[in-house]
Amino acid sequence: MMSLARLMGASVMLAGLLALSGCGYNDLQGLDEDTKASWSEVINQYQRRADLIPNLVSTVKGYAAHEKDTLEGVVQARAKATSVQITPELLRDEAAFKRFQEAQQSLSSALGRLLALAENYPNLKADQGFRDLQSQLEGTENRITVARKRYIDKVAEFNKMVRYFPTNLTAKFLLHLDEKANFTVADEKAVAKPPEVKF
Amino acid sequence: MRLMRRAGWAILAGWLWFTLVPNLPGLALDVPPLSGRVVDIAHVLPPATTAQLSETLQAHETKTSNQVAVLIVPSLEGEPLFDFSHRVATTWKLGAKGIDNGVILLIAIKERKIRLEVGYGLEGVLTDARSAQIIRHEIAPKFRAGDVPAGVAAGVLAVLHTIEGTYKAPEQPTAVHSDGEVIASTIFAVILGLVIGLFFSRAHRVVGPVIGGGLSFLVAPWVIPALIAGAVSLVLVSLMGGGMGHAIGGGRRGRSGPFDDTWFSTRHGGWGSGGLGESFGGSGGFSGGGGDFGGGGASGDW
Repeated sequence: MMSLARLMGASVMLAGLLALSGCGYNDLQGLDEDTKASWSEVINQYQRRADLIPNLVSTVKGYAAHEKDTLEGVVQARAKATSVQITPELLRDEAAFKRFQEAQQSLSSALGRLLALAENYPNLKADQGFRDLQSQLEGTENRITVARKRYIDKVAEFNKMVRYFPTNLTAKFLLHLDEKANFTVADEKAVAKPPEVKF
Repeated sequence: MRLMRRAGWAILAGWLWFTLVPNLPGLALDVPPLSGRVVDIAHVLPPATTAQLSETLQAHETKTSNQVAVLIVPSLEGEPLFDFSHRVATTWKLGAKGIDNGVILLIAIKERKIRLEVGYGLEGVLTDARSAQIIRHEIAPKFRAGDVPAGVAAGVLAVLHTIEGTYKAPEQPTAVHSDGEVIASTIFAVILGLVIGLFFSRAHRVVGPVIGGGLSFLVAPWVIPALIAGAVSLVLVSLMGGGMGHAIGGGRRGRSGPFDDTWFSTRHGGWGSGGLGESFGGSGGFSGGGGDFGGGGASGDW
């Protein structure tokens, strides 16, 4: 009789152990790691774009050195964009996230102006080095788009688990995880808007 | 009565509206099914060219495991080139999973646009700049001259030439290996549970089997092998450790056999999709191996 009670007790303990997987502990941990990884990819692609810029600027300078304003604008925007870095741990900081986006956005529009300017220089447009840089830049913009989209999806998934019951309890009391910042629709619109061209 | 009937019709109409409308073709162009290595839904290639290109692409895949496909659509129907192209790429999933060695050459006839979509694993060789050069120098001039089949063929050959030698087709699928590993660690889990469980059985005839079974369950990889390992240890420790488990043990021992079978059949099904094995399957069917695309490649027009 006694041993039956103990057997039941042991079974309950085992069941409790199994139930741990139902509270979302592992899923939350996994998603947290996934969002960090996809954020690193976003950063990585933005960095890749920044790395292309010095070459691009010096190539354009070779043909259109007198376009100082536009060239300076790109150099400054790049300097500003690379100075704002967000580590995965800082992703809960909405303000820092916004600063990062704004810096990258102003670099996008400065680059847009530079490329629009190139249209006026047939020799520059025909330059093989410039063409290669242009295609690399375009490819990088596409990669940024993909990386951002994947980050958006992952964060949405993560934030859902942080808010849904009962996984929100695990997130709040056990893991102390907060919702993560995400790219917003307003930003998407601003990014999709073609850069202003001034002559 | 009539009112009732009318209400019934109204409900039926409403139901039809809500179930059918979402299924109507949306604004975005549907991704065409991957019917072969050359998918020409614009019907601009003569059958001979399609057959020859498919054969070349298949031979290339057999040799290198790279999956290259061509898609020609009549129109993008307003969707931006990259959006559509990347959607096709992530739907078809060309290239092996984890290696991501797939390439898609997409041509939109009406918009006169060309795109090379390059998988992660080939971005290093078929760079954005190289892709742009292939489009600009190999494909576009022939398209401009009005010879679409020659342009497609030249583009495909340039792509194959560029990525040749990057990867080699593996001798055999790797999945077989890891099945062996799973079995080995499951056996290890059972033995560990058995030893520890028997040790505790001396102290108590119920606690021992539970500890042994639980330990095997935790140590074994994956869920189903873990359940099997846990059950086996529990039964064996009960049988070997004390008299009490005898009755339970007799009934359960037979069960691990069928358990084993279902585990293997599901594992094989799950592993194959997206794994290396599938893409090398039949000679007729062609499907992506689970490769991923991150936006590499280039766009152009003619």
